[in-house]
This record gives sequence, C-alpha cells and structure tokens, in this order.
Amino acid sequence: MQTKKTGFLSSLKAIVCDPFTMFGVVSAILLLLLTVAPAKDYLSEWRGYQRQYLTFIQNRGDAVTLRRHFQGGINQIWIPQLDVVDRCQTCHVGVGEASLADVKQQPFRAHPPIPHKLTEFGCVICHRGQGAATTVNQAHHSDMTGEEPILPARYIESSCGQCHHEPLEGTPKLNQGRTLLSRYGCVNCHTITLPDGSTMQATDFPPPLTHIADKTTREWIYAWLKDPAAYSSTATMPNFMLSDSDASDISAFLMADSTPDPADRISSPAASKTPPADPTAGASLYGESFCASCHATQNEAGNLVGGTLGPELTNVGTKVKPAWLLAWMRDPKHYDPATRMPQYRWTDAQLNLLAAFLENKTDPDFVANVHLQPATKQQIAHGKELVMENGCASCHEIPGVPKPENFGPNLSRVGSKPLVQLIFLPGMEHSLPAYLSGKIRQPRAFGASLRMPKFNLSSAQVEAATTALLSLTDRSFSLPANLQVPSTPQSHYEPAGQAGQLMSSLNCLSCHSINGHGGTMAPDLSWEGSSVQRTWLESFLKNPNTLRPTLIRRMPKFNLTDAESTVLTDYIMTAYQTPSFVRDEMPLTGYSPALIEKGRELFYSRYACQSCHMVNPNVDKGYIGPTLTDVGARLNAAWIFHYLKDPQALRPGTIEPNQHLSDDDANALTAFLMAQKGGAGQGAKQ
Amino acid sequence: MMPSTIETYFNKIERTRVWRSIFRSGTGNSTLRNALAIQQNVFLHLFPTKIRKRMLDLGATWYLGTLTLGTFIVLVVTGILLMLYYHPSVPQAYTDVKDLRFVVSSGLFLRNLHRWSAHTMVFLAFAHLFRVFYRGAYRAPREFNWVVGVLLLLITLLLSYTGYLLPWDQLAFWAITVGTNISSAIPFIGAKIRFLLLGGNLVNANALLRFYVLHCAILPISAVLFLAVHMWRVRKDGGLYVRASEPSAGSTHQHASEELKKQ
Repeated sequence: MQTKKTGFLSSLKAIVCDPFTMFGVVSAILLLLLTVAPAKDYLSEWRGYQRQYLTFIQNRGDAVTLRRHFQGGINQIWIPQLDVVDRCQTCHVGVGEASLADVKQQPFRAHPPIPHKLTEFGCVICHRGQGAATTVNQAHHSDMTGEEPILPARYIESSCGQCHHEPLEGTPKLNQGRTLLSRYGCVNCHTITLPDGSTMQATDFPPPLTHIADKTTREWIYAWLKDPAAYSSTATMPNFMLSDSDASDISAFLMADSTPDPADRISSPAASKTPPADPTAGASLYGESFCASCHATQNEAGNLVGGTLGPELTNVGTKVKPAWLLAWMRDPKHYDPATRMPQYRWTDAQLNLLAAFLENKTDPDFVANVHLQPATKQQIAHGKELVMENGCASCHEIPGVPKPENFGPNLSRVGSKPLVQLIFLPGMEHSLPAYLSGKIRQPRAFGASLRMPKFNLSSAQVEAATTALLSLTDRSFSLPANLQVPSTPQSHYEPAGQAGQLMSSLNCLSCHSINGHGGTMAPDLSWEGSSVQRTWLESFLKNPNTLRPTLIRRMPKFNLTDAESTVLTDYIMTAYQTPSFVRDEMPLTGYSPALIEKGRELFYSRYACQSCHMVNPNVDKGYIGPTLTDVGARLNAAWIFHYLKDPQALRPGTIEPNQHLSDDDANALTAFLMAQKGGAGQGAKQ
Repeated sequence: MMPSTIETYFNKIERTRVWRSIFRSGTGNSTLRNALAIQQNVFLHLFPTKIRKRMLDLGATWYLGTLTLGTFIVLVVTGILLMLYYHPSVPQAYTDVKDLRFVVSSGLFLRNLHRWSAHTMVFLAFAHLFRVFYRGAYRAPREFNWVVGVLLLLITLLLSYTGYLLPWDQLAFWAITVGTNISSAIPFIGAKIRFLLLGGNLVNANALLRFYVLHCAILPISAVLFLAVHMWRVRKDGGLYVRASEPSAGSTHQHASEELKKQ
C-alpha cells in the first residue's frame, strides 16, 4: 500500500516537475476546454427544439409546406422603433403557421388569431418576459434582478390596454377592471394619468356628508363604518378595519360636523302612521317607477335584482330617517347636486306610499347591538383626526376637512413597477400580478400602518382590476404616438336653457348619452330630433313604452306636465339633429301604393327583414330588432331612408346589417315602412 | 535522418539575410550567443539571461507570477473579442451582453472565460503576494519591486471593479453606486473623486463610458507598463529570489538574512 502510494506520488511529481510533460498536460486540458464551447453551442436548447419540430412535422399532411417555411437558426422579430428584439420564434417555430392551431404540444402551437400581425409588435410587448433570451428559463422567468417574467395568460388583456384606452369588444376583463377602478373610487386616492395627459375619473359619486345627521343615525354610521358589506353586499365603500372606538369616534365627529338642512325637516305625519289601503300599492309604485333600473334589492331567494347606478335598497329602512327620505324623493338634487337620481314628479300621496314601502325594508340586526355613549369633545376631535388620516374626504365631501391631494401613491405606471421595489409577503409568488392582486385582496397584510382599505370584491373582480392596473405601463407612455388609440375625450355637455334645467332635474344623462356625455343604459339621443316625429315624442315622454319585444321597459314615467313635455319635445326636435341630412326632405305620407307594394316585397323576400323585425305581429316572428307595426308614426322618412342606406353611420355599433341598398330599394322600403302607422290610437302600446 | 534534415533546414533559414536582419545575435550555440539572444530581444530582455535550473521547478515559485501573467493574457485576448460585440451606451450595453449570452457563437463561453480568468487573476495575484511575503522575498534589494507588485495588485482590483459595471444590469448599477459612495467618504476631496469617477452625480451614461475607457484602455495599459517594470526589476534585483546562497534543509530566516548581508 505504502509503496503504491509512493509510486503514484512520484509519478505525479514526475509530471508536475517536468516542464515538458506539464506543458503537454496543460495543453491537453486547454484543448478539451476549447471543445466545450462549440459543443455547448451545438447542444443548445433551441437547436433541440428545432430538431424536435422537424421530426414533429414529418408525419403531418402539411409537412411539405411547413418544411418549406422552416428556417433554422436564430429567428427573431426586430422592430427598432419599438425597441423589440424577440427571439421567441427560435423555439416557437410554428407560431405563425395557421395549420398548427390544433397542436397541443408546446412550443409548436400556432398563435391564436389576434387582430394584429405577429411581426407588427413582436411577442414581448404583450406577453412580457425576455425576448432576447433563447432558453426557456431565461426567456420566461429571468434570473436577473428587475427583469419581468412572462405574463400569466389570464392577465393578457392588460397588454391591449397599453395602446387601447377605449373599451374593446375582445377585452371584457380589461374593460371591467377599468370600470372597477373608476367605480370603486380607486382613482379618488390614487392618481392615474393616461398617456394622452388626461386622468382617470371616478364614475361613482359618494354622497356629501354635510347634512348626514338629517339622513341617518350615528348608530347606523358606526355599523356601516365597521363593515359596509354587512349592510349591503354591493357597497362600493371599502372596509377600513376600524376598531370599535375609532368607528365610534368617527361617527361622533360626522354627526357633530353635520349641519341641519331645513328642507330635510319636511315631513308628512301621515306617511308612516296610517298603513296604505292596498298593502301592495307601494311595491307597485316602486315597480311602475322603474326604481329597479338603478337600485337593486335582494329578493326572497337572496339574489340581487336591479341596477347598480344607485345604492342597494334592501335595508334602506334601517339607514334613512323618514323625513329625510320624503325630502330626498321630492327633490334629490337639493341634498346632493351631483346625484344621478331623477326628480320624479310624484304626488304627496305617491311619496308617502313609496316612503312607507321603503321604510319597511329593514334589517334590525344591523344596528341592534350598537350602543354608543354620548360623544365627548375628545372623541369628536379624535374622530376628525381619523377622518383625515383615512382620507375619507378623498371621496366624500365633509365640511371642515379638505380633499387630500395625492392621498395614495400615483399608479400611472404601476404596470411597469420593478420587482426590486416591491416587498412581498412570505410565501408569495414574486411577480407583479401576484403583488397587485394580493394588495387589492388583503391590503393591510402588507403592513399594519398602511391606510389602504379592503374592498368587497370577488376574485374575478380582483383579477379584472389587476388586469387594468397591469395595462398602466411605461411602454404605454413611450410607444409612438401613432400607435396610441386614445379614449374619446371626456365631454362635459350639458343641455342649456329651460329645457336644460328640466333635463337636469330629470337627470336624463344618467341613462341617455347626448353629444358624448351621459350613461349607457338607454339609447343615445344626440340625433333623436332627426329620428322621431314630434307627435310621437311628445306622447312617449308622457307615457313611455318599450320599442323592443325582448327588452323590458326601463324609461320611467315622470308625470310631466303638458308644458314640461312640450318644452322638452321642442328642444329635442330642434337641438338634436344630425348634420348629415335634412329631417323633412322626405314626406311622412303620400307614397304611391305601387311603391309601397314594391317595398313590401323587398322587405319580405329580398332582404327578409321579418327575421328580426315585426310589421304584422300575427305573421312575423322577428324579435331581435324593434317592432315596426307603427314605425310610420314614430320615425321620419328621411331618417328611415338614410338609416337603411348606412345604419352604422347613424347609430354606431348597431347590429342592423348594412345591405348596401340602392336608392330605389331604400326609397321603396321607406315608403313601405312609412305606411305602417299602426292601428288608430295604437301609438302607445304597452 | 529526419531530425538532422529539419536542423539543416533551420540552419539555412538562420543564415538568410532576412533572419539575420531581425535576429542579430548571430548563429551558433555559444553561451554568449544564447545570452545575446535574450538580451537583444525587446520582449525577452526583461528576463534574466541566466537562471538556476532548480528555480524552474514547481516547488520553487509555484509559478504564481507566471500564472498571473497568463490569466492577464487570456483576459486581454477574450477582452478584445468581447469588445467586438459591446457598445458602452445605455440603451445597448445590456442588450449586447444578452446577445453575447444567447446569440453570438460561443459568446457565453467567451464571457465566462473572461469572468473566470478575472477571478483567477485576483486570486493568483494575492497568492503571489502572500508567497513573496512569507518567503521574505520583498526585502532589500527587492523593496521597489514589492511596491510595483502592490501597484499591480491595485490595478488588478480596479480592472475587476470597472469591469463589473459594464454588463449594465441591476447588480452592476448598485455595486458601482455603493462603491463610488464609499469613495466619497474620503475627507475633503471625496465628493470630487466621486464626481470624477462617474462623470456626474449619478451612475449613468457618463459613468458607463468612463468605466469602459478605464477598463479597456487606461488600466490595461498601465498594467502592461508596470508589468514590464516588474519583470525587468526581477532581473535587475538579482533574478528570482533564492534563500541564502543555496538552502540546506535546516536553513533559517536568521541564517538567510546573514547571508544576504554578506552579498
């Protein structure tokens, strides 16, 4: 053993100590090392995928075409203007091959169809990740600090939002997320500046708290502050995780801060005292007034029924004081000038009926266990401090508390926030989407001193909001201006004059849009004056009905006086006309029977309009489009003619197909439709 | 008679006019001629003309100085090749490094070779220093060469440091931010030095360019100059350091220094 060891040592010594042998050994090692480089290059990952691809396509029917398209080596999309160098196609060889759409095996599947060419933007602008890399690991999840990993597919719509600032048909999640950011008041605390320089605006207007003591009790405020979702599951007010004493102090301050409004004191003692003769009359009036178009209530099955424009009314009786409710329903704008609630012209009897109906909607449990001691001065002062600390005035108007500026961090570029600037929770996935959604879901988990409240959002909503936030990238600012698809500039159109006042009190723009300003619940009225006939409009305003068999009527009956409806009709007929044609250029009547007959034939045979529309309800089955039984008494001939010629020009987004009618055909169809005057007195079919 | 054929062939070449105009040490195998061959070559004249054969053994020096020089040569060669692919500009530096890693043939190998050689060079330079120190080879008459060696070590470290910024990634950025902040701690002139190094107050395009120039021109040239002095002084200071006249197994430091005094 000993000799063997000595022998080994001596031979080692002979090699090491002899310079010539040493030189030989070192040279051999160097040569070996130098072969590593080309070998590693030859055995690289992407070459493997390309070999795999060639075997993969061998047995396919389209092998010849695919092989002809195949180009070995590094394949890249290079767009210098956009700073794009994407080598993804080096491994994703078949990404542009439409015939590989059915392939399950990645990286060979074709890209799903999208409105852009793959070479237009490359891969990384939408998918993130590292386009320069040619290994899976480095391209999808880089190990370099500050480099973005690939974006999970469920957030991919965020990438569309970098250029498209308008809602797109193909990006429901992004659209929903943007709506949430506006609706839940995120943008009240966080400034979000868009590339065109505008800022995102809130679309939900929390009530001013100036006269809050008239409206509700301190106990309700306390319970609401503790957990808004317990009062209403659709509350947009977030939970500030207040302690009992803090909630009590804030409620004390708000009550002390409130000033009485004389108008809220109007009360009709008859209101809640005498039960109405018909117990269902209140519910009927609630239904007839279409309150549910904007307000939701919970039905017996626990489902919410109704719109989201106004607050949920399931437990409204627990919240509001009867006198305030009456004053509110009589004139909502007096209490809150920014409200979207229309001023119905209800009679006192109707008001009492409706108030009694709403006051019965209570949840006694909500405030049952709230017992507050009378507030001390210190409590009120502390309450004010808390109100300022929590940024309540970012959303609510509170007397004596100014609206804070930049209360939360600016989120204009949050979608590009470098990971190194984020502090993750233990065990959390280190990625921006995970951080953003975690922050929305559990904001206080990231630090006890954080002020961000917890919003009552479902996981789908959190995902949508995260998608919208991820679209706010550096790139959206740096992209060339010609690629930006800006949102239509915000219109602040308000109708003027006497009719303007009337429309403001009726809050027409809560549902209807005019000249780019207003709601989306009801049709756009910008060109209504060109579209409809005066007599029809006047009778519709007094007694609205629905035009489409598939839709329930949403337009409330406001009990307008004759004078009011005349003012409104005059204004609409005059002010809201399209510039593209003259309304009265075609007569309303007097078309020759032959022309009408030709129109009927075109209607039924050539264009088969009856598949969507009804002219004769006994025969026709179409229900997609509006009923046309009395269209001749409703629409102007010129409107019908031009609408038939190019529907999308007059009603952008309508599904009415553009049939490219000749003038003769359009003329005949117009004549036929103008002959559809309905039965006598059938103008207001209900 | 293959060897003799080659030999005659060489002899023929050595006698040509061109050869003799380049190598002027004459022909033959005399000691003088061999000494002249070393002395009259601009590269070799830095080295001693004669050396004890024992000093060529691994055990004598562990070849630490030569190996340091070897890594330096590897660094110069790979560095020049890397310069062919690299732009010292903010928008391009990082992408160029990525290209080297993912697209350039053997680019990753080149970069890794440069990086590992740099690490090895720092390690070897330190090992060389320690060995010289513990052998006592820094003493008279070699004090000046010790100082030159320390300067070379500093240049080596600065080369490593300036090269660190060039990939222009987060690691580089923050390392240079921290490093230059340290230099600003020097009393009175610290802030000025930092400004001079960065060409501004922030690690940005100017800093990248300055570090590039330092890394690829100023520092390597100074390294080469000091290397020349270093090796020339090895010869001038009496060749490689030998303990005493010739070590016996029991020779001590005391013994060695006494011997040195006698010289």
